[in-house]
Amino acid sequence: MAYSVLILDDDVDFNSLLTDIFEQADYIVTSLEDPIEAVEVFANTDYDLVVTDHKMPEMTGAEFMTEIKKLKPEVPVIMVSGFLENDTIRALISGGVGGVFLKPLNIFSLLERTSELIEESRRFKQNSDSDSGSAMAGLADQVDGDAQMGFAFRSFPCKSRTSIDFAERLYSLRNFKSTLSLIGEVGTHFRLICEDIRNFYESEKEHFIYLSPGSFDAEQVLFLFDEAKAAGAERVTCVLLDVESMSDEQKPLVAALSKCAGVFESIETPSRTIFCVSGDLDVLFDEGRIDEHLYILMGTAEVRVPALRDCASDIAVLAQQMVVDIIKEKGLGSVSRFEAPAREFLSQHLWDHNYEQLRATVRQVMESSPGDVLTLAAVTAALQSNAAASPRARFEARLSGARVDYVRAASVLLGGTRAKVAAFFGTDTTVIEATLK
Amino acid sequence: MQQHRALILRSNRFLGSSLVNKGLLSSGDLEAANEKFMDAIQTPELLKNASILTTLLYDLKVLDEARLLEHIVEEHGIGLIDLNHVELRSLPSTEIDLSLCWASSTIPFDKVEETYMVASCYYMSAPVVKHWEELLDGKVVWYGTSMASMSRGLERLEDVLAAEKAAAAAAAAETAETE
Repeated sequence: MAYSVLILDDDVDFNSLLTDIFEQADYIVTSLEDPIEAVEVFANTDYDLVVTDHKMPEMTGAEFMTEIKKLKPEVPVIMVSGFLENDTIRALISGGVGGVFLKPLNIFSLLERTSELIEESRRFKQNSDSDSGSAMAGLADQVDGDAQMGFAFRSFPCKSRTSIDFAERLYSLRNFKSTLSLIGEVGTHFRLICEDIRNFYESEKEHFIYLSPGSFDAEQVLFLFDEAKAAGAERVTCVLLDVESMSDEQKPLVAALSKCAGVFESIETPSRTIFCVSGDLDVLFDEGRIDEHLYILMGTAEVRVPALRDCASDIAVLAQQMVVDIIKEKGLGSVSRFEAPAREFLSQHLWDHNYEQLRATVRQVMESSPGDVLTLAAVTAALQSNAAASPRARFEARLSGARVDYVRAASVLLGGTRAKVAAFFGTDTTVIEATLK
Repeated sequence: MQQHRALILRSNRFLGSSLVNKGLLSSGDLEAANEKFMDAIQTPELLKNASILTTLLYDLKVLDEARLLEHIVEEHGIGLIDLNHVELRSLPSTEIDLSLCWASSTIPFDKVEETYMVASCYYMSAPVVKHWEELLDGKVVWYGTSMASMSRGLERLEDVLAAEKAAAAAAAAETAETE
């Protein structure tokens, strides 16, 4: 299927060159030189993507993008220019540009990015078709965030500077060689963050294995490595969760695993390690919960995971995404939406136990009042209820985690086929998809 | 030196992270330096000289010291000093703990009224700055210095303090004899 592209450049020669490039790549091209006319044409025509110059006499490319994003925010825009100041590039990124290309052009990169953006945009459209309008809000925010950064990131919606910086730092460190330390506060969603790191890679040969104090011993690690090798892994990333809670017997194994030494000497597959720690590393060191070796080892590449309260603009979007996940998990027909005061409250609450507390609260809200509109009263009641019944909430969170582990294990044992896993648990594939997600 | 073990670990860890974060060092090189550092701190005799900075500069030769000093001057706005040109002595009302100086590669080399002039190779390591500022009640003017200048300075200071101690002991003995 041929996709349609609108090209806007007041430079006739360059416009013609761009038109040739896109036409030869089988796109249906409309080329225009006047931005005001282009806004009008764009409003009345369906395009899959827009390519625009920045320096134009009537309005800049950034202003043009702002105009057309008001009309159809879902259509991706690529900016092509001879020179752009860093500040302009930042402004374009925050305005939602999908790609910035400086002249002279790398045609292959331009076409590759075009294809990626159209694909993302279509995936988004499919998702939004299958969800109700309110669910779309959460997903639209996420796609918008991805477009801003140029890579997908799910663990934070990246609506605030802090979470964008965090996501970009992780992305820049994605090819770390040996160890990476993620240090966050209690309740941080390390597993989801590590899944984001996994998703930075397209290759199926990048395997991630997750080990927590309850599942970490030499035998288990060697088994998982063998399994990964059999599945064709070219590299294995070991994610060590709750390192601070590892027993005295496990801590030496943590250091040994990161160096493939001692009992792990036989491991042949190239590997690396992500340490996930909740709490202040210096305090944990002083308390003796992190030994000297690990303390130094974790300093090689260290990233602080922001607390939810530090990225307030993300919280309501994150909560809405959780609602969408619960809706999918339960197979409900319509998607509930937080009312404005509830969103405001979610953003301003301190969330001492971070993601886990937010998730428990959203779950509680959905259990108690799963109507179309999720009210402020329901949110505060859920929060109070979870605080009062925190042992139960913790137990439920643990059960929920265990369920995910079981589904993952079944998925591995049954060769990753969702239908087989669904049949095994006597449910349908959407539930399995939602759990694994 | 064992009493400063936590400071040694912390200051080296912070220095390594800072060097990587500021683009002065790669993670791979830091990892190699950390390995050697960990070996050193396991051996009591080596603990005094355990420093990732020494390893990076002289052993692995992966850190450009001139660039590091330039960074300190430009980013932190502190001056540089060559301790070879400074007359080292014990400072009035300061009991200099030489083992702390070795542990943190830092020397307070002068005092003007209530303010101390302190030279350090570990200015980029927050725990070192914090520790000394707490010790000297916050009245500190910091200087950066090279590792070679610091090592020679520490050796000279050892000699100076030993000579001062011997002189004080001799004076005390003489006073006792007179009495």
